[in-house]
Amino acid sequence: MTTTEIPAPTARPGRAATTPKHRPKREREGAAWVFLSPWVLGACLLTVVPMAVSLYLSFTDYNLFDPPHWIGLRNYTQMFTEDPRYWRSVVTTLEYVVIAVPLQLALALVVALALKSMKGGKAFYRSAFYAPSLLGASMSIALVWRQVFNDGGPVDNALGNGGWINKPGWSLLAVALLTVWQFGAPMVIFLAGLQQIPAELYEAAAVDGAGKWRQFLSITVPMLSPVLFFNLVLQTIQAFQVFTPAFAVSGGKGGPADSTLVYTLYLYDRGFVASHMGYASAMAWVLLLVIGAVTAVLFRSSRSWVFYASEGDR
Amino acid sequence: MPGHRTKGFCASAAALALCAMLAACGGSGESVGGGGKVVLRYAWWGNPDRATLTDKAVALFEKRHPNVQVQTSYSGYDAYKQKLAVQATGGDAPDVMQLDYRQINQYANGGVLLDLGKQKAVLHTSEIDQGLLATGKVDGTQYAIPQGRGTETIVYDAKAWKDSGVPLPQKGWTWDDWADDMRALAKKTGKPGATDPGWSEDGFEVWLRGQGKSLYTKDNGLGFTADDLTNWWTFTDQLRREGAVSPAEQTTQLAGFVENTPLARGKATSDNNWDAPASGYVSFIPTGIALAPMPSGEDGTPGQYFKPSMFMGVSANTGHPKESAELIDFMINDRDAAKILGATRGIPVNETIRKETEGRLKDFDKTISEYQASVDGTLKDPPQAPPSGDNALQSTFQRDYDQVSYERLSPRKAAENYITEAKAELRS
Repeated sequence: MTTTEIPAPTARPGRAATTPKHRPKREREGAAWVFLSPWVLGACLLTVVPMAVSLYLSFTDYNLFDPPHWIGLRNYTQMFTEDPRYWRSVVTTLEYVVIAVPLQLALALVVALALKSMKGGKAFYRSAFYAPSLLGASMSIALVWRQVFNDGGPVDNALGNGGWINKPGWSLLAVALLTVWQFGAPMVIFLAGLQQIPAELYEAAAVDGAGKWRQFLSITVPMLSPVLFFNLVLQTIQAFQVFTPAFAVSGGKGGPADSTLVYTLYLYDRGFVASHMGYASAMAWVLLLVIGAVTAVLFRSSRSWVFYASEGDR
Repeated sequence: MPGHRTKGFCASAAALALCAMLAACGGSGESVGGGGKVVLRYAWWGNPDRATLTDKAVALFEKRHPNVQVQTSYSGYDAYKQKLAVQATGGDAPDVMQLDYRQINQYANGGVLLDLGKQKAVLHTSEIDQGLLATGKVDGTQYAIPQGRGTETIVYDAKAWKDSGVPLPQKGWTWDDWADDMRALAKKTGKPGATDPGWSEDGFEVWLRGQGKSLYTKDNGLGFTADDLTNWWTFTDQLRREGAVSPAEQTTQLAGFVENTPLARGKATSDNNWDAPASGYVSFIPTGIALAPMPSGEDGTPGQYFKPSMFMGVSANTGHPKESAELIDFMINDRDAAKILGATRGIPVNETIRKETEGRLKDFDKTISEYQASVDGTLKDPPQAPPSGDNALQSTFQRDYDQVSYERLSPRKAAENYITEAKAELRS
């Protein structure tokens, strides 16, 4: 979790000045590298090298069994011009992002607001709401989800519509709800952000006659916007890469009728089921570029809606 | 560097040394075990009951070959297929591996498999039906040995069908007879007569062969046209609309295991499947199931065929080709091994052993054996091993039919999509 990336509204006290400076800088750096070496080695061998190989393979027809042949951009042109299922997976993924991310952030914010105003038992409820995020990463909960939304499951019994996961119009929603339910991480971050907002702002607003809703819109939302932005970026990136819930809930096939065939699931299908590793690598690189572009757009848009408290001093 | 060693540096050096020690503790796989024994790795897919019997047989093999130690491992089919592909590409395939008909071409052409023809001295194949044996050949080379024999069947709830008053399925029935029976069953029982067979590439193949065609041509091209597939899907789609076969919501759940089928869930009276896995229905339908032949073409041409239910192959990288071949010979030709294994991998391929064991088979093993005997000699030769792309096309077939049964695409449009995808898959 990279919570340190939250733009901190308060200035840090100058800790560096108080740190004792006995040893020469170069030697301390050397020791640092030694201690970092497991991580650096791991990052190089497990991330950098495989990424480079994947970039190379994306220009080949590698099928796991025969040596890869260089085919230039054919994987990319096939993807964009000859593969209707590729585009269906793109649309499905966008639908998923648009459903899951706002729902998840809204729920996280509502629960964080409720927790903030609680008097007792806050620690208990915070843990209770966070628990699904820990469970959610596991395959088992996704399988439970499949049972819940399958025909003959509790949702079918309650609503009597034959279960969601076998209806192409509803199955993606069942997958998205599994993600939404894991709102613990953004909730904890929201809660931290809410507690940073100075109480005197609310007191002053109350004196001026502002109601709860007015306070929320004029104080909470702008003061919380950096945290909201951080959560939005993080959850959007994660949503584009969603795999486990779609894989488990659809039984690994992205069905029914390709309705839960999200991008990474189709990538997996191409790579490990159909043995087109070159094509799958090309898909992975396109996804990386698209996520980069979407993140850049979010950052650009943030200038117009994210408010940093320190800006007020300028 | 300064001459004096600081505490920080010493600590980091110690940390590195510890890491090195940890790394050194990790064991390394060696093909020669303790006491100079030859160690073979043998992997297969299957259920725990198959594992118990296999381990028993392997123990007997080790007793007969004191210099050989066999390490076994197994998992479910999907997981097995993916793991084996990764191992094989890394040059680390198990010495002896179980293979599916759909894998043979890819693995043989990829140089993963050893030419077993060179191991004739220890691996005997003379008692295996030659047509069946040929299914393990790629370009004339014997890369794999079939281990069991299976054929497709219509499996049905015997009591429910009898009680409905619809005449029981007869040998030589056609697809039209079958369709009429499904309609009659649906009317009498109030639920679909069968699983919608449109999802299944295997079902389509039987229908296609009944017309004298095939899935693939000799040179691994497509053996049928968009018209053929449109006809098949129009046929099944019509039955689905009439309620004679299962609705889309049930058909889409099929994933190659019995629990998901409408028959096992009490939502249909029959299903089409391979005969050996049909034993899985027994626990769901306590009143009993029965097996009938697959429907044939209009002129009586049978579409089903005897297929090797699985193969055994040897890794091209094995250090012990002779011992590996001995293990295969033992599993296929040894009488005592056959006694232990029963029909866990289908009916034995060794003709002598098959005849000997026929009388001793019990319960559902006996049903399968009798069913196979009833169609033996009337079926045509099996097709050659499917091309490598077929592995992926099997799931593409089901996906494309989903679009038909959910009424998102017409049979014609979905069939055209499939042909396009299949051509791309077979070209690459």
